[in-house]
Amino acid sequence: MKRLRGWWLLVALLIALPLLFPGNYYVTVVGASALLHAILAVGLNLLMGYAGQISLGHAAFFGLGAYSSAILTTRYGVNPWLALGAGLVLAGGVAYLIARPVLRLKGHYLAMATLGFGIIVHILLVQTGGLTGGPDGIGGIPTLSLFGWAIDSDARWYGVLAATLLILVLGALNLMDSRSGRALGAIHGAEVAAGMMGIDTAAAKTAVFVLAALTAGLAGSLFAHQQAFVSPDSFNFFVSIELVTMVVLGGIASTWGAILGAVILTFLPELLVVFEDYEVLIFGAILMLIMIFLPQGIVGGLADLWARRQGAAAPTDPPKAGPAPRGLAPASDPVSQDAA
Amino acid sequence: MLLEASGLTKSFGGVTAIADLDFQVPAGLVYAVIGPNGAGKTTLFNLLSGIYRPDEGRLRFAGEDLGGRQPYQIARLGLARTFQNLQIFFNLSVLENVMVGAHARGCQGMVAALLRTPAMRREERQIRAWAWEALDFCGLGELAARPASALPYGALKRLEVARALAAQPRLLLMDEPAAGLNDTETLAMRDLIGRLRDQGITVLLVEHHMGLVMRVSDRILVLDYGSRLAEGTPAEIRANPQVIAAYLGGEVHYAVE
Ligand SMILES: Nc1ncnc2c1ncn2[C@@H]1O[C@H](COP(=O)(O)OP(=O)(O)OP(=O)(O)O)[C@@H](O)[C@H]1O
Ligand SMILES: [Mg+2]
Repeated sequence: MKRLRGWWLLVALLIALPLLFPGNYYVTVVGASALLHAILAVGLNLLMGYAGQISLGHAAFFGLGAYSSAILTTRYGVNPWLALGAGLVLAGGVAYLIARPVLRLKGHYLAMATLGFGIIVHILLVQTGGLTGGPDGIGGIPTLSLFGWAIDSDARWYGVLAATLLILVLGALNLMDSRSGRALGAIHGAEVAAGMMGIDTAAAKTAVFVLAALTAGLAGSLFAHQQAFVSPDSFNFFVSIELVTMVVLGGIASTWGAILGAVILTFLPELLVVFEDYEVLIFGAILMLIMIFLPQGIVGGLADLWARRQGAAAPTDPPKAGPAPRGLAPASDPVSQDAA
Repeated sequence: MLLEASGLTKSFGGVTAIADLDFQVPAGLVYAVIGPNGAGKTTLFNLLSGIYRPDEGRLRFAGEDLGGRQPYQIARLGLARTFQNLQIFFNLSVLENVMVGAHARGCQGMVAALLRTPAMRREERQIRAWAWEALDFCGLGELAARPASALPYGALKRLEVARALAAQPRLLLMDEPAAGLNDTETLAMRDLIGRLRDQGITVLLVEHHMGLVMRVSDRILVLDYGSRLAEGTPAEIRANPQVIAAYLGGEVHYAVE
């Protein structure tokens, strides 16, 4: 199973870590937080990395999942699993409704629209205090239990989040290597040509947007139960930016890159606390250096270095249009994006 | 008639790119569209493929009215195209590019992909086989595993053809397939176009290389300022004084390689 070699390695790693370092804070607490971030980043990477559509509002779907679970279980006594299902329906449903109008936009405009959506959801969480508890949030969220087995310790949460991530990564790898996944890659590479290959680009973008929202909603529900408390600050604009940074830092379009980015962005602040006042400064500088020296992200950059060392370096710049024949002026772009 | 256009008109602001154009393409031919730069050839292709909407006029393809259809719907009727300015998926491998070409011949969706169902895996093998067929047909088999971004320009022009061919089209629109190619590559492209027709694919060809056009075409439509200047066999077009005056500025060289 060559295709899944990386996945099996991840399985082994996630099992080995808590066995090698039982009860270690960096595995079961920071590690679990990294796992949650990885779930969010792998989901967002389906949209950003595979399909090339940026979202600066991904934390909103994370929040919709979390608040569905928090509100339904604490205020209405709904079974946590039903509440989780409701969170998925809400996150996926909202994504479905906004996908078509929003994903018609490109580049900066798409960034603006998703940014606006994220801000609106955050404001709603703060302002509808009767339901959401406003800025104070909601506490006392009950624990989840699985077949009568309460998920009530750090180690157990580590297990649940690790299993969730593994399933998600398997799905993402499967998708990448399929007709639908290639269609997303085609939209990323040349959207007009993708349409000419018979791909319903609007439908494909909607589908992947909903899929990314569903993973974020799921992560939100799990997060709410894990923390037993939610407040709007966990789902604000900065969280969306952080998720985008994870995807880009690790190496866009790579599931492994998204995971690596999530791990780095979770652990780096933990490790930098020794620098006290300079923590954020050093953190920012490290991010800048990585992007300057590895513009394709860590995984992309390392893959490139590796290829070069193998002597099989592939030129990375797509060749520009060739010389115009017999002195004719090159034509203007025949396919303007706005015409479709 | 496989393709019929009547009264086709398209303007951009003050520029009328296609003006009240009528023409018909019978099945099984290589039908060339020539004309000076800015004559409206690419605009015509964009109208045929649904990327632009005509201001006026009608288009019928394979008995269907193309009015109001999206590019992906027109593609699914059996119309494929290549682009004058390369529109390659540079983020995918050569084989994957061509597998995308076969997209409309499959039906397995996202859920099947996530679960990797047996039906999805079967279809995947089929798509791969179709893609290999198209790659080999275009002489790109050896480059299949390469990233598309690693290919030289000439191979990319053929990759555009292979990708369109994987869709098993009835009509293939080729926008300047030989532009930027050297003489050897141009000959290979001419040969490829001939073999496409032998496969029963109707080819609509836009090309500035007159040697290629005259050798490979069955009929030629000459556009000038978006309207029809002449239409006929290569021999008729070559002898047409209006064409010589307008398009070639009086200088005629039908350099045959
Ligand atoms: N999207 C557009 N917006 C504005 N004007 C356009 C657009 N597309 C084409 N035109 C104009 O329409 C006319 C026809 O252009 P078109 O690209 O169809 O010519 P062409 O025959 O393909 O030329 P070439 O041989 O140089 O490729 C030109 O005057 C061009 O500037
Ligand atoms: Mg053109």
